[in-house]
Amino acid sequence: MSHVTMTDMPHMPAQGAHFDRARLAQWLIFVVTAALMLAPALPILLQVFVDRPLYAQDWQFTLGNITDIFRSERVGQVAATTGLFAVFSVIIAQVLGISAALLIGRTDMPGRKLMGDVLMWPLYLSHLIFALGWVVMYGPSGFVTQAIAQQSSAPWNLYSIGGMSLVAGISQAPLAYLYCLYGAVRSVDSSLESAARTVGAGPLQVLRWVTLPLMVPSIITSTALNLVIAVETLSIPLFLGRPARIETLSAFLYGEGIASSSPNHGLVAASSLLLMMLVGSTLVLQRILLRQGHRYETVKGKGSRPMPLGLGRLRWPLAALTALILLVTVVVPISGIFLRAFTTFLSPLIPLSKVLTLNNFSKLFADEANIRAIVNTVEISLISAALGTALAVAVALVVQRSTFRFTGTLEALAYSPRVVPGLITGLGVFYAAIILPPMGWLRGNIGIIVVAYVMATLPLALGVIQPAIVQVSRDLDKAARTVGADWTGAMRIVMIPLLRPALLGSFILLFVFHLKSYVIAIFLMAPGLEVMGVSMLSLWTNGEVGLLAAFASLQIVMIAVLLVLARILFKVKIYD
Amino acid sequence: MTELVLKNVSRRYGNTLAIDKVNITVANGEFLTLLGPSGCGKSTTLSTIAGLDRPTGGSISFGDNVLFDAEDGTFLQPEARGFGVVFQSYALWPHMTVEGNVGLGLKLRKIPAAERNKRISEVLDLVGLGPLAKRYPGELSGGQQQRVALARAIVFRPPLLLLDEPLSNLDAQLRQQARVWLKDIQRELGLTTIYVTHDQDEALAMSDRIVVMRSGKIVQLGTPQEIYRTPVHPFVASFIGNANLIEVTGGAAAQAGGCDVRLADGQVIRAQTPLGNLNAGKQLLAVRPHLISCTKADNASEVAVEFGMENYLGDHFEQVVRVAGTEMRLSLDEPRPRGGGKIWIRNEDAMVFEAER
Ligand SMILES: Nc1ncnc2c1ncn2[C@@H]1O[C@H](COP(=O)(O)OP(=O)(O)O)[C@@H](O)[C@H]1O
Ligand SMILES: [Mg+2]
Repeated sequence: MSHVTMTDMPHMPAQGAHFDRARLAQWLIFVVTAALMLAPALPILLQVFVDRPLYAQDWQFTLGNITDIFRSERVGQVAATTGLFAVFSVIIAQVLGISAALLIGRTDMPGRKLMGDVLMWPLYLSHLIFALGWVVMYGPSGFVTQAIAQQSSAPWNLYSIGGMSLVAGISQAPLAYLYCLYGAVRSVDSSLESAARTVGAGPLQVLRWVTLPLMVPSIITSTALNLVIAVETLSIPLFLGRPARIETLSAFLYGEGIASSSPNHGLVAASSLLLMMLVGSTLVLQRILLRQGHRYETVKGKGSRPMPLGLGRLRWPLAALTALILLVTVVVPISGIFLRAFTTFLSPLIPLSKVLTLNNFSKLFADEANIRAIVNTVEISLISAALGTALAVAVALVVQRSTFRFTGTLEALAYSPRVVPGLITGLGVFYAAIILPPMGWLRGNIGIIVVAYVMATLPLALGVIQPAIVQVSRDLDKAARTVGADWTGAMRIVMIPLLRPALLGSFILLFVFHLKSYVIAIFLMAPGLEVMGVSMLSLWTNGEVGLLAAFASLQIVMIAVLLVLARILFKVKIYD
Repeated sequence: MTELVLKNVSRRYGNTLAIDKVNITVANGEFLTLLGPSGCGKSTTLSTIAGLDRPTGGSISFGDNVLFDAEDGTFLQPEARGFGVVFQSYALWPHMTVEGNVGLGLKLRKIPAAERNKRISEVLDLVGLGPLAKRYPGELSGGQQQRVALARAIVFRPPLLLLDEPLSNLDAQLRQQARVWLKDIQRELGLTTIYVTHDQDEALAMSDRIVVMRSGKIVQLGTPQEIYRTPVHPFVASFIGNANLIEVTGGAAAQAGGCDVRLADGQVIRAQTPLGNLNAGKQLLAVRPHLISCTKADNASEVAVEFGMENYLGDHFEQVVRVAGTEMRLSLDEPRPRGGGKIWIRNEDAMVFEAER
């Protein structure tokens, strides 16, 4: 190697040539994201101000839909019910989740690892399955209810706001638990707690004065998320509320938009808007509350695992209580589904051996539509998870690792589905496919569901990928630029390989999410386009509980196998 | 002659100026060092040259190529500049072997495999890592990683090599060796080099010229001797050579040359001002600790002081003396007993600057 000059360098790219390729890629990502996010939202907005369905002829602009909503007593009633249900279920979820995070994450309670795993089950299953389990065991004619009612009258009424809140609260407790566990209990520098010990605080005082306050941001975040989920959930109000004529916004939307023979699209769109505003204001409130987040920022501890707090004499009683709660609220309902799947009729009055059967399964597989639903679901989930992960990593890289001018807008667009409940995403895509010509070709094939799924879960995928990008030093892609890679090259050669574990995690998370999903596709159903979740919903509507239980068992097994495989093959634990 | 020219280069972050109208010209084959305390804008300056950061003002050119011009919006992307960069963190790609790290630049230049392998082994031999080609960065020591980082930056024969504190993550002994080794390679290849450090010894030992920076501005630019012997700013005197800075009062002096200054307690010190341009009133006196003597000297001012605490530093003692309400550090072979005493400062060793406003 000798003296060198600029001309000595081979392949010095002409000025601007590579510049364009990178910019082109960034613009492409921006346009795709914007189209995907706006295409479903704009038609809904339009429908709000139009006097008849968008697909009808000669529609005119009107404010009638909005005034209808405010005049309708029913909508007022529905909104109040929704609010009550959401608040109750969030309180239950947070109390359970926070206590579990402290007990399981911070103390020496026996069996805490196993109990932590069981607590997570509801998160892997859909509300539909979980609600079914509760109905089968604790509903008015449920197995446990009947067993107790033999001596006296029915001890409780699951078909009430209280019952709905309990089921929703328990199925959302894992989310609160996870946020508090990883956001605070595990990541808080243990020296902060040790410092409190040195100034004279006992173990419980440390929990009260140091650990719990440091959990505040995690509590706020998970509360907001759970509120949103409670407002959107469909199957719990449908299964538990409908029989008692308790109606929430989501059930109202479902009733008006799907079940009704002449859907009032204006009213549906306007109440969708109401729902989105409810959700949006929750998230805005969360941001405002977290603005003082720096007060809770903790310097990350240098490795040392915090010593678990000793519970002393309370050790075993607390363990027994926790185990009992988990048994009653999680294990029993899920076992109930399997039990029901293998029986013709489930009652404490008839011995099990008399009702055991495989009939439910043979009937399930006899119907071609159900087979199609399974095949479709797997296919759609695979494609959506792959496309969703690819889009998420592309968006995240532009947002975090480029000089693209509109990164702020791109990020806001990408996270906008957070304010759009799944039911409404489906509705929006449905409208879009009708009125936007380029989306028309998606009608009638699984592409339309894939589009809705990718849109709805983009924030979820970003939530996995963005933190992983933060972990990769900026110098690594800068170094690639200095040896001659353009932006796209640096991302492909350096960033993507380093993000592989996160991409795999995101893929599996999305796959499970799509597998269990039942709301998003409701408005997109057409013969030949069945997916498991929606088929299960119609089985419920048709009163085929045995078939439904068989289908649900199948889905539980599929998800369990998938998670175990992911853990063994790829060492990926989702939700970590 | 290819020359790197920075004209009035500025980089603004919100309200703060990371670098403020920096002007530097680097000649072909030169080893130029950016020296200054942490946060003074060295890395920012280097990044703007590499194209990793876009300045907010000024222009940068290399030979006939304009790399950046705020006026017409020219900005050449880093990959199109083709400069070799060694990062402070080394920034080795953990998922590629040593060979892969070093070879990527050649691969991106579409150099055929045979030629590529030849060059990779050449450069790995040069940095003494031939046998480790198949290792991953995680399997190397800090010193070896640093060598890979250098190999990666020079393998495609860049016209300009940029190094950001490449030795700061090595322990003291290794750093000494690496300094000599790095300088040898640079000289052998005749690489035009810009080197960033906050270590004055490194800068003095390696550089053809040094740029001393403070708060985003260039304070002095010159050869190591010029910087050390004739600092033009009290900051340079104290940052390079650890000079004591003492507030004094003195008369006006337009020209460079001898002058008298007065300590707060009235003692007078004969000194010289390297720049002139002094206003009457408050001024700053700079004296290096090892140039203060405790025995009588010719052409020196005698100052009565109070000897204080001493620190043992191995090859010498550092002792604090109090005078006129402030403190000075002395570098001595043997400490003096505490209490009253005298020191002598030679006229040529006492440098007077205008007081900072
Ligand atoms: N991305 C950034 N955002 C805001 N300020 C920055 C950023 N990068 C550097 N700075 C500021 O610019 C100044 C110079 O930084 P830098 O060039 O890294 O200093 P040095 O390398 O000399 O230690 C510092 O005051 C730093 O706080
Ligand atoms: Mg720096």
